[in-house]
Amino acid sequence: MSRPVSRWAIVRAIVRKDLVEYARDRLWLFLTVLVLVVVTVLFWVLPDDVNESIVLGVSGLEDPAAVLGGPAAEDGLEVVPFPSGADLEQVVAGEADAWQTDGGTLVIDGDSDQAPPEGARRVDVPIGIAFPEGFPAATAAGEETGVAVYVDGSVPEELRTAMAGLVRELAFQVAGHPLPVEVPAQGFVVLGEDRVGSQQSPREGFRPLFVFMVLMMELFAMASLISKEIQERTVTAVLVTPAGVADVLAAKGIAGALSGLAQAVVVLAAIDSLRVHPPLLLTLLLLGSVMVAGTAMLAGSMGRDFMSTLFWGMAFLVPLLVPALAALFPGTASPWVRALPSYPLIRGLVDVQSNGAGWADTLPQLGILAAWCAALFTAGWLVLRRRVQAR
Amino acid sequence: MTEAAIQVQDLHFSYGRTEALRGISFEVAPGEILGFLGPNGAGKSTTIKILTGQLPVKTGRAQVLGIDVTADDPQVQSQIGVCFEEKNLYEALSGRENLRFFARLFGIRDLDADALLRQVGLAERARDPVAKYSKGMRQRLMMARALVNRPKVLFLDEPTDGLDPVSSRAIRTLIKEEAGSGAAVLLTTHDMFEADELSDRVAFLNEGRIHAIDTPENLKLQHGRRAVKVRMRESDGVREQSVPLDAADAGEQLGAALRSPGLMTIHTEEATLESIFIEITGRSLEG
Repeated sequence: MSRPVSRWAIVRAIVRKDLVEYARDRLWLFLTVLVLVVVTVLFWVLPDDVNESIVLGVSGLEDPAAVLGGPAAEDGLEVVPFPSGADLEQVVAGEADAWQTDGGTLVIDGDSDQAPPEGARRVDVPIGIAFPEGFPAATAAGEETGVAVYVDGSVPEELRTAMAGLVRELAFQVAGHPLPVEVPAQGFVVLGEDRVGSQQSPREGFRPLFVFMVLMMELFAMASLISKEIQERTVTAVLVTPAGVADVLAAKGIAGALSGLAQAVVVLAAIDSLRVHPPLLLTLLLLGSVMVAGTAMLAGSMGRDFMSTLFWGMAFLVPLLVPALAALFPGTASPWVRALPSYPLIRGLVDVQSNGAGWADTLPQLGILAAWCAALFTAGWLVLRRRVQAR
Repeated sequence: MTEAAIQVQDLHFSYGRTEALRGISFEVAPGEILGFLGPNGAGKSTTIKILTGQLPVKTGRAQVLGIDVTADDPQVQSQIGVCFEEKNLYEALSGRENLRFFARLFGIRDLDADALLRQVGLAERARDPVAKYSKGMRQRLMMARALVNRPKVLFLDEPTDGLDPVSSRAIRTLIKEEAGSGAAVLLTTHDMFEADELSDRVAFLNEGRIHAIDTPENLKLQHGRRAVKVRMRESDGVREQSVPLDAADAGEQLGAALRSPGLMTIHTEEATLESIFIEITGRSLEG
């Protein structure tokens, strides 16, 4: 004989059933484990460091390191002398390789079978300055000279301009003249954490994307389970018991959020990313999981079969993924990217994990994320309720 | 007088402009089996959906156990059991897990699922996922699921549709047992023999209206012929003779037949529920 049953007992029973069903769905289980493994392996394979110095090839000066050594080292420049301007041009153009030996720089043509000497170190030279013969004397005498600056196609415009400034400064220096102006005192004010010497490595850059990929898998899996429950009308059988529509919806939300949170925590632990502010990270992930559960409700309600559920899942996934991709590149995200629901989650993860931000710094992101969560979860709830009632 | 377990008065329902129910009224007493006979689209499933809270009552009145039915009413739903026409079971769960899950929704934590599975002949397959069950096994599990809360009212929508004779018999036995223990049963079926065998009363439903509702015996008496058919072997072959029971010389005719050495068989010419349905509604149950 049945007895009065609490709403929570009903919701708990449905959540438990949903999680068991999820764990027995071989397709989603396989994909979930696959994504967790791939993400973890990829993370540890990615480089963990960044070479912050710029290699500058120089020809035409007898002792370029002595001339450029002081200011160059301060600017993070590694000066490599070249025997001739032609060699330098070839190396920057990628037609020859430059090898540093005890006796100087050896240039070996790319088509040559010549082996580099033992102990030689290969250097990539993206920028080269070729000074003409007798440049110091000619400059000192006030004669007109020409300097060639070779740059690789990937060198940014700002660096090219800086090289032009460096050449001008050198001209005054080798000629023994002071600069024609009094150089103003420069004070660098670094806003935020000074990342000189600790630039974001590829591994660090990919970290939010990896976490987000795991949450996205959850979106597909939950959407598929919800769609299946409606299509196979098992939800109808549940709704002729004391369980109401609200109980079913609450259970779907809880099961989706729990499952997403658990997987995100597992992947964060596997990529050693739970050391900084764990409670803050867990809060961000919980909100992210709720947002994904709401989105899964939307996609699951709209799907009429497996393929259409996948379609709707992709339709929601692509825009949500954009902020995670944008985080791979330095610079401020475009306004439209910042308007996407997943942006505060990604920004929060980056701030906490890469910049060591705390609760106070992350509060604005948490607030916006919570608002998006509420909006998406409410939308998912309403659409799914309508679908369940019309079963 | 015992209060009816199900009371329906002048119930109407429309899907958009299509009228599914056009003012039906009936009652089912505790322990009674009411068979709903009608072709597809007659309104049988709509009636069950309204009484189980899946569809709202728009016009008219529907009560289950004295409570007005509204959509998703846990007060009603805790005391009813529903066996759906479609096999809506959780395929990834085993038979035992399906029953235990539904029992928890009724607040039952100590369900003896194995005893229930034994009752429907599925004890041996209790641990197998439902995905591996045959159609008959699924139907038997659906029946077991409808019984997890020992319901006072059972709604059975085509419970033996497409089943083999053995599975059908097992389910019919179970239905009789439940009614015997006091449950009111509303049974929809296409199968006139099943309705005849199980139902205390049958209702003929067509195009949203109840055309007749009575015991099968009364319906047969009202609409059938009171006659017997006698088959006799004679020298020139087999002869069939219809003897009206109301005829003045009925006794003499039957006596002569019984004394005849050529008597082969005597059958009643009682009407079937199907023939009565066709006579009353003008259409077949298969429609």
